[in-house]
Parts: sequence; structure tokens; C-alpha cells
Amino acid sequence: MKAVPDLVEEIELTPDGTGIDREFLTFVLNEWDAQALEEALLVKDATGAEVTAAGLAADPDIDQALYTALAKGADAAVKISGGADGGLQTRERAALFAAYLTSEPADLVITGVQAPDDLDGQLPPMLAACLGLPHVSVVVGVEASGDTVTVRQEFAGGRLQELRVRPPAVIGVQAARQAPRYAPITRIRQAMQAGGLRDVAATPAATVPGPSVRRMYRPEKSGHAEMLAGGADEVAARIVDLLQARGLVKG
Amino acid sequence: MSGNVLVLAEHAGQQISEGTYELLGKARELAASLGGVAEVALLGPRDLAAQLGAAGVVVSVDHPVLAEYLPEAYEQALLAVLAERAPRLLLMSNATAGLDLGAALSVRWQAPLAAYVTDLAAEDGTIVATAQILGGKILAEVELPGERGIATVIGGGLPAAAGQRDGMPEVADITPPDGLDSLRMTLQQVIEPQGGDVDITAADMLVSVGRGIESSDNVELVQELADALGVPLSASRPVVDAGWLPKTRQVGKSGLKVKPRAYLAFGISGAPEHLEGMRGADLIIACSTDPGAPIFDVAHYGTTVDLFDLVPALTDRLG
Amino acid sequence: MLIRIVLGAVITLAGLAAAGWRLAWLGRLVRAGAPAPGRVNGAAARLRAEVVEVLGQRKLLKRWRSGLPHALVFWGFIILLFTIVEAVGDTFVSKSFAIPVIGHAALLGFIEDLFTVIVLGGVLVFSVTRVVDSPARRDRKSRFYGSHTRAAWITLMMIAAVMITLLGYRAAQVNTGDFPYGWAAFASHGLAALLRPAGLGVNAGLETFLLLANIAVIMGFLVFVTYSKHLHIFLAPLNVAFSRRPRALGALGDLPQQPGAAGAGQLADLSWKQLLDTLTCTECGRCQAACPAWNSGRPLSPKLLIMDLRDHLMSSAGEPLAAPPRGAAPDGAAAAAAPAGAASPEGVAGTAAAGLVPGVISPDVVWSCTTCGACVEQCPVDIEHVDTIVHLRRRLVDEGRIEPAVQQVLQDVAQQGNSFGKSGRMRARWTRELGFGVKDARREAVRYLWFVGDFASFDERLQAMSRRLAGILHDANVDFGLLFDGEHDDGNDVRRVGEEGLFQMLVEHNMSAFRKASFAEIFTTDPHSFNTLRNEYPSYGLDKPVLHYSQLLERLLGDGSLAVDPLGLRVTYHDPCYLARHNRLTDPPRKVLRALGCELAEMPRHGLNTFCCGAGGGRIWMTDGPQPGERPSENRIREAVAVGVDYFVVACPKDFVMYTDAVKTTGNAERIQVVDLIQLVDRARRSPVADLEAV
Repeated sequence: MKAVPDLVEEIELTPDGTGIDREFLTFVLNEWDAQALEEALLVKDATGAEVTAAGLAADPDIDQALYTALAKGADAAVKISGGADGGLQTRERAALFAAYLTSEPADLVITGVQAPDDLDGQLPPMLAACLGLPHVSVVVGVEASGDTVTVRQEFAGGRLQELRVRPPAVIGVQAARQAPRYAPITRIRQAMQAGGLRDVAATPAATVPGPSVRRMYRPEKSGHAEMLAGGADEVAARIVDLLQARGLVKG
Repeated sequence: MSGNVLVLAEHAGQQISEGTYELLGKARELAASLGGVAEVALLGPRDLAAQLGAAGVVVSVDHPVLAEYLPEAYEQALLAVLAERAPRLLLMSNATAGLDLGAALSVRWQAPLAAYVTDLAAEDGTIVATAQILGGKILAEVELPGERGIATVIGGGLPAAAGQRDGMPEVADITPPDGLDSLRMTLQQVIEPQGGDVDITAADMLVSVGRGIESSDNVELVQELADALGVPLSASRPVVDAGWLPKTRQVGKSGLKVKPRAYLAFGISGAPEHLEGMRGADLIIACSTDPGAPIFDVAHYGTTVDLFDLVPALTDRLG
Repeated sequence: MLIRIVLGAVITLAGLAAAGWRLAWLGRLVRAGAPAPGRVNGAAARLRAEVVEVLGQRKLLKRWRSGLPHALVFWGFIILLFTIVEAVGDTFVSKSFAIPVIGHAALLGFIEDLFTVIVLGGVLVFSVTRVVDSPARRDRKSRFYGSHTRAAWITLMMIAAVMITLLGYRAAQVNTGDFPYGWAAFASHGLAALLRPAGLGVNAGLETFLLLANIAVIMGFLVFVTYSKHLHIFLAPLNVAFSRRPRALGALGDLPQQPGAAGAGQLADLSWKQLLDTLTCTECGRCQAACPAWNSGRPLSPKLLIMDLRDHLMSSAGEPLAAPPRGAAPDGAAAAAAPAGAASPEGVAGTAAAGLVPGVISPDVVWSCTTCGACVEQCPVDIEHVDTIVHLRRRLVDEGRIEPAVQQVLQDVAQQGNSFGKSGRMRARWTRELGFGVKDARREAVRYLWFVGDFASFDERLQAMSRRLAGILHDANVDFGLLFDGEHDDGNDVRRVGEEGLFQMLVEHNMSAFRKASFAEIFTTDPHSFNTLRNEYPSYGLDKPVLHYSQLLERLLGDGSLAVDPLGLRVTYHDPCYLARHNRLTDPPRKVLRALGCELAEMPRHGLNTFCCGAGGGRIWMTDGPQPGERPSENRIREAVAVGVDYFVVACPKDFVMYTDAVKTTGNAERIQVVDLIQLVDRARRSPVADLEAV
């Protein structure tokens, strides 16, 4: 699970222009990770599997996400410390999670297929490569029975492929089979009071280098649309003219 | 180090994808700067090489298990290609295959990766990429250090024509690696989306609705406009996810890419994933009450008039 | 004589035993409910309510066509208690039995006869009502749709039988010479004249027969009452005694104290008062007739919801988890009503797993409620529908059974403090375009803290309205300030959606902001904010006066801070539910309109009977499927157009949005325009521009 900046916010850049200013941002759980959690809970509902939610201590407000996971039905929550502070790149995250998972293996590692800020690549394939496990991403459904796992992988245009994978494996979830369940605030508060977050230290292995950022900037609003003036009728007239001029509407 | 740029070819139904041509065009440009050639890794049906006339070399790995895309198989095969051909740069699209393979190869091939790339250049032998992150709000200009690199590229932004050429390229065959015979996953079945509906990719013009229509009741309102124009109705992802229109009408990264002569967008804000699906249209007219909506960046004409006023006005006018 | 005594005793004892047994059983059912705090305090108010509502029949008389006959019949029953005493005396003591003190005063005889006739008249009126307004004829439009009409007819017939046997035996007594009252008892004597020709012997026999028949029918009626909806004649006074005072509106009722998960999943999770509510329901349907959800074709009928809970309570007979068959066979009307307000089409109540929702009540029904309180306002026996519905919602929220759109809103509120999904920092962005600075109440003391609310802060159309109000206040030199991004959603609708935990979180946040700020009074833009700040925040420590902006405008117009020119417009005013019904504030906006020189033409449903726009209770966040009937807001606009005015005046941001859309969708844009009080004040004050068209 990963905490990412809430995208409704304005995002400020650091003074040297090579990164985003994280101090005043609100962080929320990565939406794809929320989907992944839901899919994991659905597998639990169907098979009685045990779900552990794992996050990195370096992520701001990750406690909130972990307690929410417990409130939603996860059996355990783990907070992994180690590595640098804040703003970890995907490969560093993969190394930390891999170190944790090597000491506490799981049959299925489910996480979001991507995050809005994973510039150097997505977590599921990296994590799988670190652990030497098979992996499938852009998954929209996971079903486990016995010792096989069946996943549905989504392609453009609504096309799906159904794959059978032998666990242990890493799954990158695009969307769960149903919208993430709601965790009422009361239950989250109860989870917080009950405690239940386990701290784990991990030592990450060295990682491959990543891209180095020269600069970050906001896109110029180039080629902005010509705004049509007037009320509904005037604009409608204008649009019909535009279409007629191109022969798309009978003049 | 070599100055070659390797493109992973994507194909479905015996056709090389348009995205592959976009990458191939860019690969040729980059390879020229780097003093190498553009190569294409073709995993699966070898005869598809005939469609890749613009490639310097087509590197083929043909094995039955590669006939349809399978993550583990493609990863093994591609690693074999990378080991053999040792390119400077690997290009893949940002679609499912890219999301599966790019980051894994970054670790296994030990190469830095830049994701969500919209453009690339080679500056004095350094690969520089522009990447779009945080929902398109921030662009990052990055360098890929070292002797090799990977970039996953967002489709629809580069010219495909630059990668298309007739003729049969040189083909180099690579022995399929042993691992392909002992995979830990298998393809069970392919599920095509329910057909029997309109093919929006073939339409001349599209009337498209987004979350701004607020409820399924109002789809009918816009359907009337589409009928008056004699064109199909399409939609952005939220509308399809809510079940107001079928998946076959979805325009966007995980839907369909369309290039109609005119695209009328009502109540669509213009998330990057949607823009990816329609920015190539000849004429884009967007109607959204939010003057800062990103759709206006790709639209040719826009209006903030409420769609509930504009759509009936248009329908009336078209009689 | 002996026969009379024996028969009379047998009938009476059998009747009392049967009724007593049943009442005891019902009592057990009610007591199985959860504890309900605060139901016995405030004895004075409760006593007053008994006098005014029960004896005085206040709520019934609101609809006088059925209310007046009912009041008369009710008073008749009380008066005729005397005749019951006399009947018992005649049976067991002697034929010349007289009530002590009063004796055989002529007045008593007259009143008894008078009310006997009145009751018969009432029965006639009721019968006509039930024929004219029958569900068979009018379907959903009838307030009796879903009610047990067969039981109603039986009731009417039995009452008539009581009256007839009573009159009959008195008439026979006249003829046998035992009747103690003179000609003042006109009906008895009148009927006696008709019976006289039958002769003394027959009349004596008739007297015995009809007296026993009278007692038998009364006992039969008593037993029948305990088995039917007519139970309300005993339970209504009881229910009124324990109901929330002054009324079950405004703040939500105290939660039933229960361990375990929040909300009502089983009957035992409802408080004993809520269970008593279900038994008290008379199926009159006034709540149903007033409900905006029902009137727009949605499946919620407050009456049917209460009835379904009652049926489940009775058929579960102390085992709330058992899956009961559908109780005493409902007649055709009720069975047809099963899809509306009931569970599955088969009408079979839930198993333990299904719970009250969806086992007994369908989720659609629960989510259709706007919490407008029209049902509570109408109910003659003080049933507290809204509290029960919200309690059912609490369980649904606890189990995560809410639609994704609402989930998203709740998550946005939890994350960013507003229901619009925008960054919390943008809350006060609307102030940027003002020509002057607005004070930050967190930094400097102000007289009035303006609690703007989500809609007036984030919706573009309403931001312009907020700017207008700011301009008016600024020019009137009112000392006000905002909390800027320190303000979070007020929580009123979050609470009514059932997310009690999030509501508490919001209150805690806002209270903490209030404590750090310095102000004398609060005023709000939104009546929903007004409602919760005034009624629910005090128990979290808010001790400052809370106003709605209409009250502030009234104040300013009254003390001369705002100088205005008369507008001379012809308008109608729509009372917001949360101002009028929940908080009894109907005057200030009207005073403002008068001060602005507007001619006010009232809609039929105005003041406390105002008709909801449909946005409350979180419904404005819900995206449920195609609208089955006419939207409440559209229905309301048609009502306004029929009054014949140019302007539809609102005093609530949500109303403004809902009605502006409804005017468009009903094609009335040329006939009527929706304006807020703020716009009218702006237009009227002596300052340039303030174009009424441009919002």
C-alpha cells in the first residue's frame, strides 16, 4: 500500500525544481492500492484466506491507511521501516517490500498496478523480479481455489485474458470486481484504539539506478480551445456552423 | 555501447498495433542520433515481420506459447532478445504489456526505467525523456543514466506514419529460451467484449458523455442529440463503470482509441487516460462547466454553457 | 336477571381476559427493545402534550375534513364511557343503576344521546371518505394505499354496532319504563317511539338482548382492537406521553443504547419506543400523503415502513431472528402494496442473515428518505419515523452497504472536509473576487461568525450568491468573519446518511475551530448547517447563538442598517424544510419580503407544511436509477406556477440549485424565476447594478 499526494490538491514544486514539495500536501492512499485491498478482501471472503496489509513507515499518514484496512476486514497490518525517509522511488520500495516478504512470505502479493507518481516504474513487476516470482498486472479479478489462482487481465477495448498462475505470485490490480467497500469512521477509530499495527524492520538490497530528474514543471496550457461566447442558443448555432463547414451535417 | 533502439512489437489478431508504429518511428529517429539502428522484437508469429518494413532488423522469437500475449513468456523471450542484441534503449507502450514487463525488466536487465513518457530525445548520447505524472499535473524531464535504459511510452502522442514503410525487413531469429517450456502461468481463454453494438472506432463523428451528465436518466437526453446527428454515443470511463453505457462505448486508455472527424464532448473533464483515447480527432468541441477542465487543452473549441441547456438547443437546431 | 348477570359476566370476563392476554404479549414485545434514554424527563411538557394532542386532537385537526369527525368521535368515545359504566351497572347491579354524584341528570342523558348520534354521523363520514379515497380507485394517491382496509371497515361496522345496540337498548328501556332520562335524551326517545308498537314484552326482551349485545360488541371490539391497528386508541396516549418533546424534529433522537455494531440490524436494536411506535400506527396514511419520496413514485412510504416493522415484530413473536410467514393474512390492498415499502415481492420477512434491511425493508426504501420530517409533522400519534430510518441507515453504513457515489462523498468529507471532493484549501476561494478583505475569525475577533457551508462555498452558482451576501453585509457595516479553510462540512446530512462516526469527527473538528476563534454569534447560509449547529452541536459544547442569514437580514432591515427601496414584485416563498419544519422559523424570511415591499402569494403547501425539494438526507449525493415519477422539485414548481407569481423565493443553497434545475426541466423558464432572498435584498438596497438576472 502506498500513500500518494491527493490529486485534488495543487501540487507545488521544490525550489530547485527537481521534485514536488511534499510538506504541505495531503496524502491519501493510492487509489489502485485501495482496489487491490478490496480484491484481496474479496478473495478472503470467498476462501477464508488471511489478509495482511503492508505499508512503508516512510509514507506520510500510512497509519491511517493501515487502520482503515483493518477496519475493512484485513487480519493484520504491518508497517515496514528501513531505507531512506520520504519520497521513495518504486525500486527502493520494491527492495524494502521484497526484504520483508523474504522473511514473511505470502502466497499472493496483491498491490495496485501503478501509482500516480511512480516515475521509475510500477511496483508489482519490480517486486516480482526482486523475489523471482511470476507476476500479472492490469488485473480486474482474482479467484483462488486450491493451489491455483485464476486472474483476469484487461486489455484495451474491454478485451480480457484469463490466466491461471501457480502461486506464489505477485498481482497488480487495476480494478477490483466491485467498488472498494466502505469503512465507517467508527470502525476505523475502533481499530486505532485496539492498536494492532506491527512494526517490522527490513534491510533493502541495492537497487538498479533510476532516471535522474533534470527538472519538473507544470504543462503549459498550449493550444487552448477557442471558447465560444454566448448562451446555449448562440453556442449551438456556432457548433452547427462548424459541423456544416466540414460537411458533417447537412447544410 | 551500441546505439540501437529496440521496440517491443505489440500485435493482436495478426495485426501489428498502431502504437508499435508510433514507437518504431521514434526509435528510428533516436537510433539515428545514437548512431545505431531501430530494431523490433517480434515475439510470436514470425510472418508479422512483413508489416514492419521500417525496422532496421526484426528480431524474432517464435514459440507456440508466444502466439498470444502471456506476461511470463514475453518476459523470458524479451530477456533473451535483450541479452543477444544488447540495445542502448528499449521502448514499450504504456499499455498492458508495458505495465507488465517494463518495471520487471528494469530489475532483471538492470536498466533505469522512465514511465509515462510522452517524448524522447537523444542529446549527445544521453537519453532524455519527458514523462507525465500525477494525473498529468506535472511533467518531468529525466535522463536515463548508464549504458542502457527502458522507456514505457503513452500511446497516441507520436506520429505513426514515421514507423510505417512497405517492404520486408531483415529478420534475425533467436532461439526461444528453455524457460518457455516450464512457465508458472497459462492462458486459459480470451474474452472478447460483447459485440452486437456499434463500433465507435469506425464512426465519422462521436457525441461523447462524461460524469457531467450526472445520472443515467440524462443519457437519453444526449442520445437524442446523437440520433439527430446520426452518429453513435460514446463515453468516458466513469459513465461506463456506472453502467450507464456498455464498455464498447468507452473512449480512453482502457477503452478504445478513436480518431473521428469530429468529437463532441459533454460533461467530460479530460483526464489523461481519456485524452489518450481521443486527442487525435480532427475537430474537438468540449462542453464543460469547469473552465479549467483539462479537456479544453486538447479541444479546438470549447464552451462553459451548461450541457443541459446546450444539448437540447443543439438537438432542436438539428431538427 | 340472573341470566343477564351470568351471560354478561361471561362475555365481560372472556373479553377482558383475551384483551389482557394480548396486551401483555404486546407489552413483552415492546420491552424487548433496546433502552431509550430520556423518555421520562420533562413531565410537564409531556402532560401538556397529552392535553393538547390527545384530548385536544391538535394534529388531527390540521386536516379538518377528516380531523373534525375524528375529534368528535374521539370525544364521543370518552363521553360514552359513561354509558359503558351504566351498561355494566344495568347488567350486574340493577336496572335503575346510576353513576354516583351525576346520577341521572338530564344533561348527561342529552350529551350521551347527542354523541351517539354524532359518532354515527362520524362513522358515515369515515365510510364515505374510505370509498372516495380508496386505493382501488386512486392507487398510490390514496393515503390508504397499503393500509388494511378490511380491518378498517370492520372497525367502522363495530363502532356503528356499539352505537346502534346502545341506542336500541336505551330505546327499549324507554318503552319498559326503566329509562332514567327525560326528553332531553332525544334519540333514545325518538327510537323508542318507533319500537313502542311492538309491545311491552318484546321491548323488555329487546332491552335485555340489546344490552347484552351492547356489552358483547364492546368486548368484541375491545378484543378486536388489541388485534388490529385500532390498538391506537390505547397506545396513542401512551406513545404521545413518551415521544420526544417538543417534537421529533430538528436534532435526531438519542441513539438507542446498544452494544455491538451501530444501527438497527434486528428488532432488538430498535429502542422500546421505536417498537411502540410501530404498534401505535393507525395506518391513517397522512405521513404517506405528505412524503416527497412517495409522491415522486419512489418506494418509500413512512406508513408502510412502520407497518412492515410492526408486522415483523408481531410475527417474530419474541424471536426476532426467526423467519416468519406474513402474519395475519393481509387483504388484497396490503398484498398489492408489498413491493412498495416492503421487502421481497413474496413478502416473506428476513432470516437472521438478511436482517431488517433487506429482510423486512428494502434498501431502496431506506435510502429514499430526504429527512424532511413531513411524516413526523403529520402523524397524529407522534411516531418518530425519521429517527427510525436514520437508525436503519446507521447499520447499512456500518456494513458498508452504501452506493459508491455516497461512499465517495463520505470519503471526500473525511479526507478534505467537504462533500465536493475539492481541496479543503479552496473553501474560501470565492472571497477572492470581492473588492474587500474578509476577516479571518481565527485571527481576529468578530461579532458574527459566518458558517458558510459546503454548497455556498464550492458550487459556482452559489459562490456568486455568497459574494452578494458578503457585499450586502460589508456595505451595512456588519462585523463578520469566516473560518476560511478551518471550516469543515457541518455534518448534518452526513449524520442523516447514517455515518455517525464521521459526523462526530466533523463536530470535533469544527468545535475545535470555534474554540480557537473569537465571535459572539454564528449565522449560516444553509438551513442544514443551521439545524445541526443549533440543535446538535450544543451537546458538544457550542454555547453561542446560531442564526440563519434570513434572521440576520431581518435584523438589519429592522434596525435600519440596510436601507432599501420597495421592489413591488409578486413572489411566492418556499420554506426550507430545515428552517420551517425542523426549526419552526417561518417568519423572518416573510418579514424580509414585506420589508422589501414584495407582494407575497402563498402556495398551498407553505409554512410547516412546506414540500421538500428532495435534496436532503444525502439524497443530493445519490445517483439511483431512472426517476419513477415526477421529481419533488418539479412538483413544487408546478404548484408555484399555479399560484401565478413571477418569482420563486428560496432561502437555502440546495433549494436554489434544485429549483433552478426544476424550472428548466418543467419548461417554465419563461414563467417563473428562482431567486434567493439575498438577490432581492441586493436589488432593493440603494446601490447600483445588482442585476437580478445575473447570479
